Amino acid sequence: MLRYCTRCVMPDSKPDLKLDAEGVCNACRSYENRKAVDWAARHTELQSILARYRRPDGANWDCIVPVSGGKDSTYQVVRMLQLGLNPLCVTATTCDLSAIGRRNIENIKKLGVDYLEFSPNPKVRSKLNRIGLNQVGDISWPEHVGIFTIPVRAAVQFSVPLLVWGENAQNEYGGPAAAADNNIMDRRWLEEFGGLLGLRVTDLIGIEGITAKDLIPYTYPTDEDLKRVGVTCLFLGHYLPWDGLSNALIAQANGFEALPTTVEGSMVNYENLDNHQTGIHDYFKFLKFGFSRATDIACLHLRRGRISREDAQAIVRRHDGRFPWTYLGKPVADILAPLDLSVEQFIRICDRFTNKKIFVRDASGNLAKDAHGNLTKLNYDN
Amino acid sequence: MLKTRIIPTLLWKDHGLVKGVGFDSWRRVGTVLPAIKVYSTREVDELILVDITATGEARAPDCDSVAEFSAECFVPLTVGGGIRTIEHIRDLLRAGADKVSINSAAYANPGLVREAASRFGAQCVVASIDVRRLPDGSLKCYSHSGSRPQDRDPASWARELETQGAGEILITSVERDGTMEGYDLELVRAVAAAVRIPVIASGGAGSYAHLLAALREGGASAVAAASIFHFTQQTPLEAKHYLATHGIPVRRHQLASDTLKA
Amino acid sequence: MKVLVIDYGMGNLGSVRRAFEECGADVLTSANSRDALTAERIVLPGVGAFLDGMAHLHAGDWPGQLRTALENPEVRLLGICLGMQLLADSGEEGGRTAGLGLIAGEVRRLEPEDANTRIPHVGWNEVNSTRPDRLLQLIPDGTDFYFVHSYHFRPASPALVLGTTPYCGDFASVVGAGNVYGVQFHPEKSSRPGFQVIRNFLAR
Repeated sequence: MLRYCTRCVMPDSKPDLKLDAEGVCNACRSYENRKAVDWAARHTELQSILARYRRPDGANWDCIVPVSGGKDSTYQVVRMLQLGLNPLCVTATTCDLSAIGRRNIENIKKLGVDYLEFSPNPKVRSKLNRIGLNQVGDISWPEHVGIFTIPVRAAVQFSVPLLVWGENAQNEYGGPAAAADNNIMDRRWLEEFGGLLGLRVTDLIGIEGITAKDLIPYTYPTDEDLKRVGVTCLFLGHYLPWDGLSNALIAQANGFEALPTTVEGSMVNYENLDNHQTGIHDYFKFLKFGFSRATDIACLHLRRGRISREDAQAIVRRHDGRFPWTYLGKPVADILAPLDLSVEQFIRICDRFTNKKIFVRDASGNLAKDAHGNLTKLNYDN
Repeated sequence: MLKTRIIPTLLWKDHGLVKGVGFDSWRRVGTVLPAIKVYSTREVDELILVDITATGEARAPDCDSVAEFSAECFVPLTVGGGIRTIEHIRDLLRAGADKVSINSAAYANPGLVREAASRFGAQCVVASIDVRRLPDGSLKCYSHSGSRPQDRDPASWARELETQGAGEILITSVERDGTMEGYDLELVRAVAAAVRIPVIASGGAGSYAHLLAALREGGASAVAAASIFHFTQQTPLEAKHYLATHGIPVRRHQLASDTLKA
Repeated sequence: MKVLVIDYGMGNLGSVRRAFEECGADVLTSANSRDALTAERIVLPGVGAFLDGMAHLHAGDWPGQLRTALENPEVRLLGICLGMQLLADSGEEGGRTAGLGLIAGEVRRLEPEDANTRIPHVGWNEVNSTRPDRLLQLIPDGTDFYFVHSYHFRPASPALVLGTTPYCGDFASVVGAGNVYGVQFHPEKSSRPGFQVIRNFLAR
């Protein structure tokens, strides 16, 4: 049985989530503490860190901003430009880029920045998607590795030491750049917090004919290279109050395009618009942990007082963890085709990864599904 | 020649996987099944899966879940947690566990290891010993996930378990667990010297050199580890290359890779 | 590829089934010996004593059905661990018992070479091929597989041995005669090398 935070609707199955004696989760507590944050002081701190890395001589970019083309990265770029920085924006193209995602990438370029889009070999990537899905139940495993690796490789390649990330979901600190000493962003950070599920890039060599040369975009720079350039990072979310909705509003005011309707499995129309595989990624999160995108977003809005806990529960019941028959309108069969997987095979993989302890099963022990293949959780509240 | 094994340990609590430090401050790190599948991919030699709350909650082992996990496990699987009776052991083996790990129940019921070994064979009985270092530096055995002191010192207790028929000893330093500061080599040495059956060192591995030290200096036959493989870039495969270059016989991996599929 | 995994009450079949599925097989686990007649590949797994194993096979009417099924040279059978041993003419574990007689030989207890050799033989150990055969294709000599056993197969002729393992002398860890194969190790617990053996067994 899942235990839920008594304040938001997050279950305790979420990695690194802790419920305290009052049954309140650390994410809610951390948001509570944010009220005490002196944002003006943080802003000053940010300015002084950026001053250390700014290149007034114009000989190189001031920083690298990893961008996906989403609302948060559009906001990030807008802010960086406001802060007077000259960033090199780097995109690791998603595994199955949507048309709206493409338009939003083009929009960021038009904000007035140098832009680098890196697209790894799609044949290798499809293999990695399949291995990720089959082995760790995460179709987006290569994408996550790429997102964390490609911008760091770019930092080394172009000798730009500072990386400016958006929000760090795991930590409250500002990133290695804020530390007075030992501020190198090493691989350890990636492995522990990068959501790589214990599977390492080098583990893949030899599987499905994959060789080391196929994995260059996924291979983190060596410690020597990182030290030579002095690669470090900071999280903008530590220095500026971070809110998905206001980021979306600011992004939209700067040309970012949202969908006319809410995204499948979500409750909003402005997030995760750039990859058709995201629906499958989110669904597996639901199968493993019993919560997914709608829970994540509902919690964010709930903490900010925009919806009640009851509203959030109703939204979660309606949208969370629906079988991903389509995502951004693309049918699941078409999304799976490059992976050489049929929908039937996909459903078998789903069943295998489903955490049987949190879903309703029938008398013979099989997962109970409705006519659309949707599961029911054993409990939706404490 | 039999190979020296590298064995990741997975700790299982309620509906997911956890990692702690010193048998405390549990941190939820994922779910069990993907971890088993990942480690199968990562060419480890064996897996140890322990349900850390079963004994405390006086629960029987969850054989339904074990059957699900073992079906996805393509290396030998040792299952522990909550084993109190010979029926628990029988049910776990039927559910697909290759070995069982007995800890707390061995103190309360000395006949259990003996009966398990005679009914199912010593090869599937792993006796697990959790040890804390007392302020005076002496070593003491603890049961119930490191919470209950037992009036035993690890070396003599290991010897007794060997006499009862245990096939292997898993020796864990509670204080070193999750710290990645290295095994308690003195503890490993004391136990390895006391018995002739294989000793698996556990608790504290943070680098390949730690693994080598447990084997070389500690005299262990195998090494168990968790954080090093879950939280760092170090991999079981690289660990093996490292051990091999230091003369430790490890399992080889050299297939005609282009024909392999995931 | 239609694969039958024989369920005769000797151990858990979950990982055997899943390993064959991972290798692309369409697996049926069955206790009904008539299913042997429609399978393209038959797997005889098993953990336990020879005597019990044969008793269970007879109770399920397997010996006759397997003989009939194997008259088709396109059908192949793979015995794993105890399943390999049961292919022999006879075994001594639990009392002298006649086996399936599909590969000529007998099953004897491993004899320790010295005081330090432990029985059962448990762990990862090498397999070295003694004769080229499709079952060990793409598997270099010295590749390790997972073993748990106290008895071993002694084939009547060296021609029946496909691979050996250095323990208690060199024992026959892979045997084959026509369309019948046996492996003493557990391919389903031997990770990628095990999968390669399974793929080789399945390949047309």
